[in-house]
Amino acid sequence: MTDTSIPYTRMDVCNRSLETVRHSRNLGMEVLSAEEDGVRVRLPWREDLVGNPDTGVLHGGAIFAMMDQAGGMANSCRLFPNFEITPTIDFRVDHLHAPTPGKAVVCHASCYRLTEHVTFVRLTTWEEGKEDGEPVATALATYTRMKLDKKGRVVS
Amino acid sequence: MTNSLKALIEACRKGEAAHQDLIDRVPYARFLGIEVRAQGEELTFILPKNPENIGNPTLPALHGGAVAGFMEQAAIIFILLEMGEPKVPKTIDFTIDYLRAGLFRDTFAECRVTRLGRRIANVHISAWQKRREEPITIARAHFLLSEENN
Repeated sequence: MTDTSIPYTRMDVCNRSLETVRHSRNLGMEVLSAEEDGVRVRLPWREDLVGNPDTGVLHGGAIFAMMDQAGGMANSCRLFPNFEITPTIDFRVDHLHAPTPGKAVVCHASCYRLTEHVTFVRLTTWEEGKEDGEPVATALATYTRMKLDKKGRVVS
Repeated sequence: MTNSLKALIEACRKGEAAHQDLIDRVPYARFLGIEVRAQGEELTFILPKNPENIGNPTLPALHGGAVAGFMEQAAIIFILLEMGEPKVPKTIDFTIDYLRAGLFRDTFAECRVTRLGRRIANVHISAWQKRREEPITIARAHFLLSEENN
């Protein structure tokens, strides 16, 4: 259900965080969809994000950074319309197979449990266009909730 | 290409090439701006303070992903130098604990190989800013060294 009294959408919140997070912007990330049950985020293949110059495969670190950011957005989607900062507590990624050089990757991140202080997030990344097939990476993460007051200061 | 990597590693071991050359051949390492300092046989990796790596503009704090990518790359270089037949290791998994905010300042990392098998390496990576004893993140990763079935 959409509450029309809220003047912004989950998509707006996610795009806003991309605008303010310089490193994620530098990675070339793009939000494809933002719903209560999760976000879909795209990371392009780019020459400067390559990890092995002999093969042209994206660096695991670039995939990690994109997924960590996607997890934060999944938190924002779950917490919507409230806004909190959610620093990562721990993050584990499994690289199931290398994405094809030259191909973008798409991550789906979902906050499947929200507690008073902690959020639990599951993430899956596929090669773009192969979202029905085997993922290239899966991850599990926890984040901590830092509530903000109206002035944007951390309350707890 | 692989031959040139092997030759470069040989040269690094003999002190005839700078370890930085090993990092600079990796596009993503240049994207983050990673540096390395060798003291004797000890390597310290450095992620110099760089506004491009900021994740939280208010604090300001480094992006957790940039710190993780830095640590993963540090481990890859570290293992490469330990391998008899150097071949770029593939990351199997990477697990990181964030202990403190990565502030907008230089970050350092060191690696310890817990086990270097024929096929798999287990590496522990620790990153700090103010003091080595106060890590901002610790990570553990497994790398695939060889895909041969032996």
